[in-house]
Amino acid sequence: MGFISITQVDELFWLGRYSERVYTTIRLFSKRYDIMLEQDSTYGEFCSMLEIPNIYTSAEDFKYRYAFDQENPDSIFSNLMRAYDNAIVLREEIGSETLSYIQLAIYEMNKAASSRAPMIEMQKVIDNILAFWGIADDSIDSEDSRNIIKIGKRVERIDLYARLKMPQAEMKREVDRLTGRIDRCSLHYRKEVLLRLNELVLEPQPDHHAIVHEIEQIVE
Amino acid sequence: MYEQDLYEHADVINELLARYGVKFGIYKNNVFKEQLFPFDAIPRIIPGDEFAELEKGLKQRVTALNLFLKDIYGKKQIVRDKVVPEEFVYASSGYLTECEGVTPVKDIYSHISGIDLVQAKNGEWYVLEDNLRVPSGASYPMIARKLCRRSSPDTFRNVRLEDNRNYAELLRRTMDHVNVGGHTVILTPGRYNAAYFEHSYLAECTGAHLVNGSELIVENDKLYYLDSNGNKERVGAVYRRISDEYLDPMTFNPESVIGISHIFDVYRKGNVALLNAPGNGIADDKGIYYFVPKMVEYYLNEEPILHNAPTYLPFYENDMKYVLEHFDQLVLKDVAEAGGYGVVFGSSMTKEQKESFIALLKAEPRRFIAQEVIDFKDLDIMDEGKRVPRKADLRAFVLMADEPLVWKSGLTRFSRNPESFIVNSSQGGGFKDTWVLSR
Repeated sequence: MGFISITQVDELFWLGRYSERVYTTIRLFSKRYDIMLEQDSTYGEFCSMLEIPNIYTSAEDFKYRYAFDQENPDSIFSNLMRAYDNAIVLREEIGSETLSYIQLAIYEMNKAASSRAPMIEMQKVIDNILAFWGIADDSIDSEDSRNIIKIGKRVERIDLYARLKMPQAEMKREVDRLTGRIDRCSLHYRKEVLLRLNELVLEPQPDHHAIVHEIEQIVE
Repeated sequence: MYEQDLYEHADVINELLARYGVKFGIYKNNVFKEQLFPFDAIPRIIPGDEFAELEKGLKQRVTALNLFLKDIYGKKQIVRDKVVPEEFVYASSGYLTECEGVTPVKDIYSHISGIDLVQAKNGEWYVLEDNLRVPSGASYPMIARKLCRRSSPDTFRNVRLEDNRNYAELLRRTMDHVNVGGHTVILTPGRYNAAYFEHSYLAECTGAHLVNGSELIVENDKLYYLDSNGNKERVGAVYRRISDEYLDPMTFNPESVIGISHIFDVYRKGNVALLNAPGNGIADDKGIYYFVPKMVEYYLNEEPILHNAPTYLPFYENDMKYVLEHFDQLVLKDVAEAGGYGVVFGSSMTKEQKESFIALLKAEPRRFIAQEVIDFKDLDIMDEGKRVPRKADLRAFVLMADEPLVWKSGLTRFSRNPESFIVNSSQGGGFKDTWVLSR
C-alpha cells in the first residue's frame, strides 16, 4: 500500500536491532564458549565487555542462562523473542516467508538449549538470521520498510561494536553505511547526532563511550 | 486411497505449519500462549455434486439472513407478520438499537458468513449455527492446502479437486465491492487476539493493510489512516475483526481502547463500509436460528434447501413439554454463549444437575434452545499412528460481493477427545482441509 504507521516504523526498526543483537552476540558467545572450554572464569570479562550485569554464579550457569534463559532480559534467547515480538505483528508487511526464518531460529534455539553441543544448533540460528536478512532484502516490496530494518541493524551493530571497543576502521565503516542509508527511509532521526558520530569515528582513538551515548540518541 | 501419500507426510506438513506460525492464541490462567492448531492430514472429502447442493442452500440461507437484518433494522415486517416473535428480537443481546435505521453500503450486512454444518450418518447435512459477526477459520485450510501440495505433490496430481487457495481473491472482491473510496484495511484488536494469525495472514494475502484502532482516526465524518509522517490516507472499507461492543467507544462500550471513536458515525453516513455490519448478532442468535428456515420461506418464497438440526424453543409451551419429556435425548444450549461453551447434554447430567437445570429452564425459557443429538458421521483422524473416528463439523464460508460466493472448501474441525462432540480449537480441537472434488 506504500505507507506505514509510526508503530510499524518502530517495529521494523526494533526487528532490525534485535535480529542484529542475536546475530552478533551468538558469534561472540561462540568464541567465549570455546575459550571457556579451558578457562572457566572468563565470563565476567564477557559481561563487562558487553556492559551487562554479571548475575551468573558459575561458568555453567553463564553458559546456560546467558544463552537460553528467557527470564533473563540480556540472554540471547530473550533478544530472539523480542525480534519475534516485532516480526509477528509485521506479517503483512514483511511476508510469511520472511517471518518464517525468525520462527525457525526460535525452533533451533530451543534445540540448542537442550543440546550437549549447543554451538552446533546455534550455528543454525545464525543461518536463519542470515536467511531472514537475505529474504527480507529480496522480498519485502517496500524500500522504506527494507531500509528501516537495515537502519535498525546498523544502529545495533554500531552500539555493540562500540561497547566491544572495535578498531576505528570497523567503526567508521559501520557509521558510513548508516550515513549512506538513513535518508532513504521514513525514520525520523537527529541529524546533529549523525554528524557527531561521523566526527567521533574519525578520531584515531575513538571515544567508544561517547559513540554508545550518541548512537542511542539517534532515533527520535 | 489417494490420500495415503498425504498422511504419510503428515509430520512434514505439521513442521511447515509450525514454520509459518499457523497458531491461535489462548489464555490459560490469565497467561497468553500461542498454540499450534493441530492439523490432521486426512481431508474431509465432499463430492462435487453434493457440494453443489450445499452451495445452493448456503447462498439461499445467507441471502435470507441478509434480508432479515435489513428488515429488522428497518420495517420489521417479519415481526409484524408474527413469523418471528418480538421477544426473540428485542431481548437478544445481538440486537443493537444503535443500528436502527442504518443501512450499510449496498444493503449488505453479512459480507463474510461462517455457517457451521454437520453431516449425519445418513448423509444429510444440518446447519448447527450461523456466524455472521466475525467468523474466523478460513485461513487455516487455505495455508494447509498450500503446504500439503508442497509436501505431497503426487496426491494433488492424481486427484481433481477445487482449488481453495482463491479465498483471498474472493475476500478482496467482497471488500472492493463495498469500498466507498480509499484504502481497504483489516482492523485487528492486536497480537493477543485468538485469531491474530488469521488477521495478519489474510492481510498479507489480500494486500489489505492490517491496522489497529490507534492507527485510524475520524475527521469530518470520514475515516483516515495515519502514516508515520502524520499524513492522512482515506479508508473506504474496514474488514473489522473486533466485536461490535469494542468498535466505537462513543457509540458502544465506552471503555473500549481498541476501537475508533466516531467510526460508527462515519459508517452511518455511508462514508465507510464495515464488514461485517454492526448489529448482525441478532441474526446469528441461537434463539433466532430456529426461525431461519421460516425466513427463507418468508423472504424468498422458497423451500429451504438446508435444514436446521431439529430444534425446540422452551419458550413455546409445546416445545417446553417436549423438552421436559425427552430431556435425556437432547442437547441444551445457552443462547448467550459461544465457542462450544454453554452446551450441555441431558444424558450427561446427574439427577441434581438435571433438577437445577430444569428449574433454570422454567425460569428463563428464552435463554435456552434444545436440539436433538444428531448422530454425526465420524471422520477418521490419525492418532498416534492409528486411524480413529472422531466427531467433526464443517464451517462453510459464504461471501457476499456483487453476488453470493461460496468458497469451495471450508474449515473442518474435529474433536480429539473420542467422547466429545465439541470441536472448537479453544477446547482442544484440531482441523482438516476440506476437499471438494471437481465434478
